[in-house]
Amino acid sequence: MISSDVIRGHLDAIILKLIIEKDRYGYEISKEISDRTSNAFEIKEATLYAVFQRLEKKLYIVSYSGEITHGRTRKYYKATAAGQSYFEEKLTEWQMIKNIIDTLLEEKK
Amino acid sequence: MITIKDYVEGLFKDIPESKEKESVKTEIILNLEEKVQDLMDSGKSEEDAINKSIVEFGDVSEIKRELQGSASPAPKKNEKKINYKNNLWFSIWGSALIIGFLFFINYTTSWGHPWFVYPTFAVLWWPLAMVFAWLNHRKN
Repeated sequence: MISSDVIRGHLDAIILKLIIEKDRYGYEISKEISDRTSNAFEIKEATLYAVFQRLEKKLYIVSYSGEITHGRTRKYYKATAAGQSYFEEKLTEWQMIKNIIDTLLEEKK
Repeated sequence: MITIKDYVEGLFKDIPESKEKESVKTEIILNLEEKVQDLMDSGKSEEDAINKSIVEFGDVSEIKRELQGSASPAPKKNEKKINYKNNLWFSIWGSALIIGFLFFINYTTSWGHPWFVYPTFAVLWWPLAMVFAWLNHRKN
């Protein structure tokens, strides 16, 4: 399992993107991450909930309780407008970084 | 066999109580239990499923850091502040009075032999100590 600093540095944006797509709850997000990467990257629960805390504190996401399972309510997250614009900022930043690293690591000799 | 609830309760044991903590704890328990159920549906025994979930949980200190960043105020400083300057003035006045009193007794009873000098040296240690305490404090 990969656990690189590059991924860690973009976890907030990755999770924010999944929440922007649609409102989601904790386990759904960790499952989605494993599925989309074919288990190449699995997020630790401890990390995931720390990210939720952080994003909530910055008001990029808000939580509400929805759908009841086994008699208990699930906590769903919803992205805010601030979250949306933060994500777009991070996406642009990532595309620039990707270009830079590609250029420096892979092109020419 | 350890349950998910017990495991999570254990993880959060030493985090100070707060509404956020309770809410995160409930959320994690619920989501982990769903993961365990999923793993069991894919053919694992309950024990294996729980163990796998626990192993994959990761380092709880990440959550701790986020929780404590918001919930608990900075640890209170309980140490009493010492007023070095006042202590110094008190020692100067105190020792001056003692020396003055000894000098007065010496002067009125036995002026031929100035014995008040000996206790004066002893008493002077007091303001001297206070001067250095004050200087040390100022340097820090």
